[in-house]
Amino acid sequence: MKRLCFMVVLGVVATALLTGQAIDPAKKYEVTVGAYGDLEKAYKAVIATDDFKKKFPNVTLKFQTSDFGGHHNRLTTVIAAGEQTNDIEALEVGYIAQFVQAGGLTDLNAAPFNAKKLSKDLVKFAVANATTEGGALIAMPVDIAPAVMFYRADLAKTAGLNMDNVANWDAYIAALKKLTDKSKGVFGIEHPAAVSAIPLNGGKGGWFQNNKPLEPKSKFLDALSLVQKVKAANVDGDLGAWSGPWSQAYLDGKIASIVNGAWFGGTLRTWLSPAGADGSSPWRVAYLPGKMMASLGGTYLSIPQTVPGPRKLVAYEILKYLTNSPVAQLTTFKEIDAFPALTTVYNDKVMDEPVAYYGGQKVRKIYADVALNIPENKVSEYDAVIGGIWNGAVNDVVSGKSTPQAAYDSALKKVIATIQ
Amino acid sequence: MATTILAQRKRRMKAQQWAPYVFISPFFILFLVFGVYPIGYSIISSFFNWKLIGNKAPVFIGFDNYVNVLTIDPFFLSAVVNTVFLLITGSLLQHVIALPLAILLNSRIVRAKELFKTAFFLPYITSTVSVVIIFGNLFDTNFGLINWVLGLFGLPHFRWSGEDLGIKVILSTILNWKFIGWNTVIYLAGLQAIPAEMYEAAEMDGASGFIKHWKITIPQLYPIIFLAVSLSIIGGMQVFEEPFVLTGGYDNMGGSGNSGLTAAFYLMFTAFKAYKIGKGSAIAWLLFITILGLNAINRQATRKYNQ
Amino acid sequence: MNPFKKLSTYVTTFLLGLLALVFAFPFYYVFVLATWRSQEVLAFPPHLWFGTGLLENWTSLFGRVPFATNFLNSLGIATLSTVSVLFFCTLAGFAFSKYQFKLKKTLFFFVIATMAIPGFLNIIPFYKMMVVFGWINTWLPLIVPGMAGAFGIFLMTQFLENALPFELLEAARIDGVGEFSMLWRVVFPLARAGMAVLGVVTFVGSWNNFTGPLILLPDVDATTLPVALSVLNSRVDNNMGALFLGNALTLLPLLVIFMLFSRQIISGLTAGAVKG
Repeated sequence: MKRLCFMVVLGVVATALLTGQAIDPAKKYEVTVGAYGDLEKAYKAVIATDDFKKKFPNVTLKFQTSDFGGHHNRLTTVIAAGEQTNDIEALEVGYIAQFVQAGGLTDLNAAPFNAKKLSKDLVKFAVANATTEGGALIAMPVDIAPAVMFYRADLAKTAGLNMDNVANWDAYIAALKKLTDKSKGVFGIEHPAAVSAIPLNGGKGGWFQNNKPLEPKSKFLDALSLVQKVKAANVDGDLGAWSGPWSQAYLDGKIASIVNGAWFGGTLRTWLSPAGADGSSPWRVAYLPGKMMASLGGTYLSIPQTVPGPRKLVAYEILKYLTNSPVAQLTTFKEIDAFPALTTVYNDKVMDEPVAYYGGQKVRKIYADVALNIPENKVSEYDAVIGGIWNGAVNDVVSGKSTPQAAYDSALKKVIATIQ
Repeated sequence: MATTILAQRKRRMKAQQWAPYVFISPFFILFLVFGVYPIGYSIISSFFNWKLIGNKAPVFIGFDNYVNVLTIDPFFLSAVVNTVFLLITGSLLQHVIALPLAILLNSRIVRAKELFKTAFFLPYITSTVSVVIIFGNLFDTNFGLINWVLGLFGLPHFRWSGEDLGIKVILSTILNWKFIGWNTVIYLAGLQAIPAEMYEAAEMDGASGFIKHWKITIPQLYPIIFLAVSLSIIGGMQVFEEPFVLTGGYDNMGGSGNSGLTAAFYLMFTAFKAYKIGKGSAIAWLLFITILGLNAINRQATRKYNQ
Repeated sequence: MNPFKKLSTYVTTFLLGLLALVFAFPFYYVFVLATWRSQEVLAFPPHLWFGTGLLENWTSLFGRVPFATNFLNSLGIATLSTVSVLFFCTLAGFAFSKYQFKLKKTLFFFVIATMAIPGFLNIIPFYKMMVVFGWINTWLPLIVPGMAGAFGIFLMTQFLENALPFELLEAARIDGVGEFSMLWRVVFPLARAGMAVLGVVTFVGSWNNFTGPLILLPDVDATTLPVALSVLNSRVDNNMGALFLGNALTLLPLLVIFMLFSRQIISGLTAGAVKG
């Protein structure tokens, strides 16, 4: 089977080299795309642009979209069955590690794709996440989620606080204390667990050091201690994310700040805290305390190995466009607030524009700055399991069941038992 | 004349002999075509260290998956405990309510039977997402109805969705709510097959309501009771969707203390999040044995009361 | 009726009514939420009455999802599933409950045992088979394998225990009715209550099935309602209003099916004499 595939690819490569391109302008192509959430909306906007129509007049995209869980469930199942998937499949960052470790997605650095020169223009940490030890690039980042702090400028002003240069987490907690007024039902932050992933750079990767899990210990203990400190400060509303009371609290303006990925701004803007008549809201963006750099999310596009050879070549042209064309990246950003992975657009004038929703603040500069400085995380196949165990530890600290040390020890024991 | 009748009888006897085999054959034919391969795949994979995706070849490890799941694995045994707890509180206890409810609905006392029947069955068809939203709101720590009622009695607010026991209470409530109506409808249907003459005879002997039902209705309903309880066991031991949606999916592994992590939930987690399909299959077969065991107990218990 | 009985009737009806409200509320709630704009759906305290977003949700839903096509797919698959299950499972239930034959106990145990196998992972090898058969994007994988499902056989066997008295069958046989004609003249008419339950449960199960069509019907025009509606479930671009409207419209046929079938469950006729 592998041999046959190889011969087919060889044949098509030869043809492509001879004809000079993978896409024959005389033929019509349909590229199938598997996506989740808002991606379909974004990419449909991309193919409606003049730029795309000019470059790919004979290519149409056909989408298979489901919700986050359904999409990844389907994709995993079909790949597990060894059967053909859509030509391009989207993957959230949490699902990348397994494929990096085990294979199943086409190596885009290999011939005939040779993505290495293109991936230079993409954000380094995101590319590193999807690169194997042997140097294979199994997926290309298409959007990323630089983590920032969103805060209510009106509430900050009343409390006499400057949230733009919060020195460290302790200062942040002190600020939250000033912002919280439980008698009025106003909270500094929605839930202590909201800060838990940030010191761990999002928690998708970085769980091991020298092949030892949950090392360096201090990093993980500090993360749990931070959660405990936030909890002890009594500045949260104990609101579970995406629940009724949670969204109502945002709508009522009862939450003063939140730390999350840039995409959350889209959620605020679209429905949680819509802009006023003049297009602005009381929300502003700031760097995380201590100018910490982290990523909370991110999407990748891949071509599973089970896609037939000729389709791979056409699919790659589209994948390339979606990830490397400034038009595509900026269109996606505009549509769904998915921050571009293409670093060259960070110099585009649109990044310098004042954004009406944030009262004219030039938030994109902050996103871009964070994006360029997010540290790399080494991924492992156990990331998902350890993440689940770790959330349990965070939960225990929040509910007061364990101290950070006890929660860490318990989690470490479970992790070691599970990865055997 | 006599020979034709005899021949006819012979033919009929023959038909009676092989008719049942013909009637049950569709199941076995379909099983052979569609059932054998997946089951074989599942059994065989359970003996391998097999990654769900990727190019690494599976490695034969014999019973290691089973041993691991039963001894070293930190989650499986507690997941089974969670499942059995929910089985009892969420799926089995309700029969004590569903059966009398069905008898009541069937009696002359109640009018508007159709309306009640439909209302009781509605939970079964409502989508899990909507149900979880509503019960989440109900049990919300700060604003939920339940805590509000507790507050009226001077009791403190309970963090239902944030505490181990609380999660189980919410799940039990959801399961009870969802399936009481279903069991009631099954019992109602079963009650239709009890001939009215039986009741008339008992009433003539002076039997009152409760005794009438104890002595006639329930014994007559044993096949249906056995059915409904078996289905509750089989379904209850494999409950997945409600805990999954309530506790926020794979990322939270069943919430505080893994309280909402049922056996089926952990099975799915092992296969689709930890990407260990061999281990997942082992969990499936261990669960299978457990369900068979519980059903055997059910059968013994029902047999004891059956003539 | 003496006054005590009358009072207890009213009290019972009242209590049952309360219970019915508790059971029916979430169902009602889906319809309420269907009429609120997406931004307002997750409001707290929850809406108890209808809102003004119906038109907006309607345009959003039908603009995004090929609802009519998916509806027909769902309907076709569910109907064919139900009809075939009712037929094959009643047959098998008849055999297991009213016949004596070799290996009956073993075979029956086998049938029930297959229900105890957690089938969560079977989708993977099953999908491979369906690719080989060429059945992807068709209705077949969702109908054929389950045509004589173990659940239905178990259910019908138990119901037919009581619903089909031996005397009746013997009388029919003496009258010269063959085994197969017996099905149409005796079994199906008497099995109505059980078949009604099985019919509803099968229809609902097929209609609400998400994972199966998600994987086996990848084509957006070939798939069923639950899969089609999942498209609306996203966090940034909130479409919850349209999603709930879709859910509500999906629930309506189930309500109709239940009410159609449930008349059979209390039919007023009890097993007694049967004509023909």
